[in-house]
Amino acid sequence: MGRLLTRNFCIIAHIDHGKTTLSDRLLESTGTIAEREKQDQLLDSMDLERERGITIKAHPVTMNYSAKDGQTYRLNLLDTPGHVDFSYEVSRSLAACEGAILVVDAAQGVEAQTVANVHLALKQGLTIVPVINKIDLPNADIPTVRKQLEEILAIPADEAILASAKTGLGIEEILEAIVARIPAPPVQTDEKLRNLIFDSVFDIYRGVVAYSRVFSGAMAPGQAVRLMSTGKSYEVKEVGIFTPKPLAQETLQEGDVGYFIANIKSTAEIKIGDTLTEQRNPAPEPLPGFQEIHPMVFSGIYPINTADFEHLKTAMGKLQINDSAFVYQAENSVALGYGFRCGFLGLLHMEIVQERLRREFDMDIIATYPSVVYEVAQTNGEKVEVDNPAHLPDPSVIAEIREPVVECFVMCPNENIGDMMQLILEKRGEVQNTESLDTRRVMLTAVMPLNEILVDFNDKIKSLTHGYGSMDYEYAGYRAADLVKLDMLVNSEPVDAFSSIVHRDKAEGRGRLLAAKLKEVIPQQLFQVSIQAAIGGRIIARENVSALRKNVTAKCYGGDITRKRKLLEKQKEGKKRMKAIGKVNIPQEAFIEVLKTS
Amino acid sequence: MNLEPTAIRHLYVHIPFCPKVCPYCSFYKEASDRNKTQAFLDAVLLELDTFGPDQVQPHTIFFGGGTPSALSTRQLSYLINGLRDRLDLSALREWTLEMNPATVSEEKAELLLSLGVNRISMGVQAWQSDLLVRLGRVHSAAQALRSYQILRRAGFKRINLDLIFGIPGQTPAQWQETLLQTINLGPEHISAYCLTYEEDTEFFRQLAIGQLSQNEFQDADLFELTMDTLIRHGYSQYEISNYAQPGEECSHNLAYWSGNDYLGLGPSAFSTVSGRRWQNVANTSRYVEQIERDGNAREFSESLSSETKLSEKIVFGLRMNRGIAEELVMPWSANIKDLESAGYLRREAGTISLSRSGRMVADAIGELFV
Ligand SMILES: Nc1nc2c(ncn2[C@@H]2O[C@H](COP(=O)(O)OP(=O)(O)OP(=O)(O)O)[C@@H](O)[C@H]2O)c(=O)[nH]1
Ligand SMILES: C[S@@+](CC[C@H](N)C(=O)[O-])C[C@H]1O[C@@H](n2cnc3c(N)ncnc32)[C@H](O)[C@@H]1O
Ligand code: SF4
Ligand SMILES: [Mg+2]
Repeated sequence: MGRLLTRNFCIIAHIDHGKTTLSDRLLESTGTIAEREKQDQLLDSMDLERERGITIKAHPVTMNYSAKDGQTYRLNLLDTPGHVDFSYEVSRSLAACEGAILVVDAAQGVEAQTVANVHLALKQGLTIVPVINKIDLPNADIPTVRKQLEEILAIPADEAILASAKTGLGIEEILEAIVARIPAPPVQTDEKLRNLIFDSVFDIYRGVVAYSRVFSGAMAPGQAVRLMSTGKSYEVKEVGIFTPKPLAQETLQEGDVGYFIANIKSTAEIKIGDTLTEQRNPAPEPLPGFQEIHPMVFSGIYPINTADFEHLKTAMGKLQINDSAFVYQAENSVALGYGFRCGFLGLLHMEIVQERLRREFDMDIIATYPSVVYEVAQTNGEKVEVDNPAHLPDPSVIAEIREPVVECFVMCPNENIGDMMQLILEKRGEVQNTESLDTRRVMLTAVMPLNEILVDFNDKIKSLTHGYGSMDYEYAGYRAADLVKLDMLVNSEPVDAFSSIVHRDKAEGRGRLLAAKLKEVIPQQLFQVSIQAAIGGRIIARENVSALRKNVTAKCYGGDITRKRKLLEKQKEGKKRMKAIGKVNIPQEAFIEVLKTS
Repeated sequence: MNLEPTAIRHLYVHIPFCPKVCPYCSFYKEASDRNKTQAFLDAVLLELDTFGPDQVQPHTIFFGGGTPSALSTRQLSYLINGLRDRLDLSALREWTLEMNPATVSEEKAELLLSLGVNRISMGVQAWQSDLLVRLGRVHSAAQALRSYQILRRAGFKRINLDLIFGIPGQTPAQWQETLLQTINLGPEHISAYCLTYEEDTEFFRQLAIGQLSQNEFQDADLFELTMDTLIRHGYSQYEISNYAQPGEECSHNLAYWSGNDYLGLGPSAFSTVSGRRWQNVANTSRYVEQIERDGNAREFSESLSSETKLSEKIVFGLRMNRGIAEELVMPWSANIKDLESAGYLRREAGTISLSRSGRMVADAIGELFV
């Protein structure tokens, strides 16, 4: 269709501001999806995405739009996730585009992720088309949002398009703005193939399907191509675009966004951000590519039933094929047996992986308390990385423990500043900067331990500010801290799955809380269960679950011995869903409760 | 006739009729229906005919239900005489029949005694009228007392009374009163059951929707009170829920719990014969039909593996105070040690039995062996 009639753009916003719903409207308005295929949040294709109402993976789709100028344009849209855990998906999508539609919720206004995403887009030199969405809401406050755009983001307020992705208002105007304001893909210096791979999925029938953007040159089936990072060569089998289903094309031209299939066997062969070029006439240098992503949070995942270890391994392998940010490695726990140490981008990512294992692979699993990666300087001068509290070296050989910190940007209404400062302090953060964004809101910048913001920081912000506060963060290296290992002992045996590394000042409180929680969730059994919290060898809290008092059915059903036997078998079967640690059966909820306790 | 060494020694007959259905009870029964009864009686005898007289030579017979006493004297004599005609009863020691206090009469009592029934088990449940109403019983406390006296006067030397504790609204004082009043009457045997919320009962449904509630702590207290009181008054607890004066244990039930073979006739009745267990269909009309057509009405059937047999021997054996031979639990020696050191088990002269605290948690212990 030609470079000049192509527009590549992504949709960015704070979480839940309506990116995916707006995409729905654009797809409908351009006739990309027919009336009968309509469904809400169409691009959220995973079950989990639909259920949670969030986007996890970026989704490319190509639309044809007949503009008012009489021309038909090819618009390549990339919907992106809003959650911090998946912000790398946003950066990758941005790299494939010339413009970004910035969606701002008319009732919520500019939030932390809005700011972060705008900065990302500007850094990549993208043209921003601001859209104030949800103007149908009764509490929509358009003048304020306009002001915020100007004052916080330096975006001229009159550029903002008023829209409602719900009612369809403003959609036409957005489409026209895409055509008019976002530049066509730029002309390149040469005709050599430079194709940026920004994502890939594995299809059991077709192998690896790579999502890519052609920056220069062209691609067609039969072509001999080469991955620039590995030097490996392949033959292109198919190229195409998403409509949103994959649709094969004869070629992908300079400026196009779509997919290609070559004889690539596994997603592991592909590095996301790599450049694909032609074998015979290669580009002299690759495109800039992406920063590698590293898992930030680690947790152990164990099968409840030890015999399921191999199944779990297979399931993880299958998950990883389409989720390269998820890493895993076999490990062994004294309490839980054989399982895996898994790395995630954040807690949401962790929950999603666990849920998919449970649901799509029908695995009964236990997950241990999440941990960040600590750097431990030992007295002998060696440095070790610890992503599992159970592996923390003995205190006698530790010179210093360093923990990862983040620079955290918290946006909140003026009246919540005091509470917010207090919260940050509780979470061992240091406020570095307080900046008024407009007459009503401030942005606090704080350096905080990653560990402290993982579990409930965001929820606390939301509840403190009645939903008007938000946060975003960036990694900011390591910092020394006074950390200790908190162990939980069940019948005097440490249960490594319950261990955590915590700040010394918080260890006792957490220990007591955990002991009390465990007492609540561990059911009475034949024998008394003692629960203790310990730092080093020192017991700081203890609780007991007293032994069962009565567990006997009276009636013996005459000859119906089978029924009684089956009842006992059922009772026993019920315990199989618990993890037996020594003589103690610990239900799954115990592991989940420990996760929730902070 | 000679006694066959392999013959079945224990016979159960299920009478599936009750004057009125109680809301807590899950035994197979239906409200009495005159039109069905005769066909039912014939079917039972027909079912018995499929076994030769040398296959069934009972030491014990148990007529249970349902409510066997819901049958009329004529029907009872028809059934019992039918049985007598078909079986060699020379080795019979115990013949029990269950009665509901509302269906006891002098005439019936005398007839039963004359036909060889020598033990009566009657469902009293409680001596308080509010609790009897709560249980949906058809009889009053006074009627239960009268029925007991009728049975005694007729000459029954072995009587069991069934009692229930943990009834919604029942106070510990009421339970204590029920126990003492029962003891005063001096039955040879007392079964004291903790109310169980059985699936498919009205009580279960009410519990599920919160109209009834269960107080497990109180149930535990009442259970302890039961053991204390009955033992103090000369009844020994020979099984979790069963107490007897010396020598008055129910041999028929002991046979079930010891893993002996037994034949059950009638709808829903279980049988266990040389490694096979089966249950007849729990529906009187279908039972009659199938017996008439095929000579049997088995619906469920399983063969007992040696592991299952062992499990059952241990689980049910441990519910009895005499316990089990120690060698049965050899494969579980680690468990046994733990249980023993926690005071749940006693080990004596090659037998293992539950202590009092062990009896309180017999199901949790039994579970270890299935
Ligand atoms: N009233 C109203 N609700 C809207 C509008 N647009 C979206 N919503 C609702 O806002 C919620 C979030 O919409 P999504 O489209 O899933 O938001 P998103 O930005 O894609 O969310 P993430 O992918 O999780 O970042 C949904 O409940 C939508 O129905 C709108 O214009 N008006
Ligand atoms: C077949 S009945 C005895 C005879 C007669 N049908 C009667 O109810 O009087 C057996 C006994 O089981 C006991 N029983 C029945 N259902 C029970 C339950 N859900 N929980 C505890 N005991 C129960 C009652 O004590 C009852 O007397
Ligand atoms: S308790 Fe007795 S009378 Fe009541 S329904 Fe059950 S078998 Fe019939
Ligand atoms: Mg979305």
